Amino acid sequence: MKAEPKTILRFLVEHYDVIAELFETQLNEGIIAYEVLNQIISKHEHDVKSQLIDYKILSPVNDNYEIRTVYYNLIEFILSEFKPMLPETIEKYHTSVAELFRKIKENINGDKVTLSQRLNDLAIEIRSFYEMVERNTMSLLQETRELKANVKKIDYREKIIRASRWIDEYIIPLNKILDINHSASVANKLYEISEFSNKYRLNFDDEGARVQFEKLYFQLIQVNDNLLRQSKILTNELLPLIERIRTESIILTGWITFMKNPYKRKVPKLLKRKEVSVYSNDTFYNASEIFEQFKNEVDVYFEEEEHESEKWIFDKEHYTKKLKDNLPVENFFSWCNKTLKEDYKKVEIEKFFALTTLAFDEDIEREYGAKPSFDKIRINDLTLTVPKVTINQQPQLIDPNHGIS
Amino acid sequence: MEFPNHHRQIVEDLMAGKFVLPQERTYQVLRDNEQSYTYFFKASFNYELRLTQDYAYIVSEESAEMLSRDICIFIALLSYELDRDGKNFLERIQFSEFEMEEIENYFTNSSYIDLILSNKQLKDADARKNFINTLNRRNIIEKTGDNRFVFTSAHKFFMDFANDIVKYENAEKDE
Repeated sequence: MKAEPKTILRFLVEHYDVIAELFETQLNEGIIAYEVLNQIISKHEHDVKSQLIDYKILSPVNDNYEIRTVYYNLIEFILSEFKPMLPETIEKYHTSVAELFRKIKENINGDKVTLSQRLNDLAIEIRSFYEMVERNTMSLLQETRELKANVKKIDYREKIIRASRWIDEYIIPLNKILDINHSASVANKLYEISEFSNKYRLNFDDEGARVQFEKLYFQLIQVNDNLLRQSKILTNELLPLIERIRTESIILTGWITFMKNPYKRKVPKLLKRKEVSVYSNDTFYNASEIFEQFKNEVDVYFEEEEHESEKWIFDKEHYTKKLKDNLPVENFFSWCNKTLKEDYKKVEIEKFFALTTLAFDEDIEREYGAKPSFDKIRINDLTLTVPKVTINQQPQLIDPNHGIS
Repeated sequence: MEFPNHHRQIVEDLMAGKFVLPQERTYQVLRDNEQSYTYFFKASFNYELRLTQDYAYIVSEESAEMLSRDICIFIALLSYELDRDGKNFLERIQFSEFEMEEIENYFTNSSYIDLILSNKQLKDADARKNFINTLNRRNIIEKTGDNRFVFTSAHKFFMDFANDIVKYENAEKDE
């Protein structure tokens, strides 16, 4: 017995809760197990199992049940509960649309009834293609937002896997389908059909077909706009969102892994600051830190150290006498060097110069020889070039207090 | 011998372990003279200059490992707590201002409290306040008030590190 349409619709309204629960089960499990069906029905007041089967809402599959596609799609549409479809499923429209379009083009002057039927079918295919794209975008967006909010509390690693899968298997291929610049894309094919229908809506002998081409043309303008919007949602919203989920999840997984053993992992290298650098703003503070250590003053006593060696004073009287005793001196500078070496172990240049001052005494007679000749005298590391000077006259004794020190 | 403009500032900042950031005038000088500065730091101090689009810094064989570890722990904890709180931690760290009060809330109520208490620089509010000043000196954060700060683009240096942990772990698994 076939039930009245209104009876079925009324049944759907009255027992919507049961049907929604059955839909939810099938959405998650793929099928409604016999026991689950009984369980769901028993929770509600009325036993509606027989009506569900009589009205052909449920159909048996082996020992289990499933909601018939037409009702499933209806509830899916009402609830906007779509599972994202693999783009391969959507890609099939490329074939069906292209095939219909090819036949229309090839038989444009053929049987008008067939042409009309093909144009009609093409419009239906385009509409279902668009609806499927829209549903897929919306469901991907919904799933992505859910993943972002992490309602299901899934692990970060799982998040990375899921986000990567959606990007690689759903979003990028779907974007290709919608890419009008890609010659093999459905969107590109639709553009081609749009051009074609634009031409024939204005110039075709059959009026009925012209009207259909016009309808198709305006439908395609609408669809192209909508596809563009979907494409924008994918590239501007969905892709960045899901990319961010992936990046965030990777970083967070990294941090969680790090915190499991933070003191054993290698960490990035940071420059170790040196106390003294080439330029330093801290010089003042470094210095003040050092001086602060001396704030607590303590009496300090110094013991005067004895000089290790006494300061040398040139004893002019002594050396004048020595020169006098040695007269005549043939080579004055050599005599100075020799005399000092006899008196001291080490001859400093200072002593040597002091002694040579005797040669400048006004009372002595210096003889330089016919030709100027020079001698080399070595004092420590220094080699001096000095003239050969002979002293004949006895020098006068002068006040010894005028010596050089 | 002629040096580029701001040479002294560049050397001072980098030698102080600071990250030089793109908004600083010295960053552009470093970019324009990348090759010569790379050579300069290598020849003068045996340091390696690293210049990215987000920061410039130098590294030596001798590393401030303790500080680096503490910074990693700090950012790791903050990222984890922000995410747990339902925030987009990357966006928050990249774009928003933090108040010390917020940091205190996250740290005192964290489930990683044992790790926090065992860390000298993060164990309590005073230590954390000093630590924030250290981060400020290194240009990892910028103080916007007594108790407020924002992260600079140098934070990406540490985010890249976290990213690499997963990458290397996955690579090891694949081997």
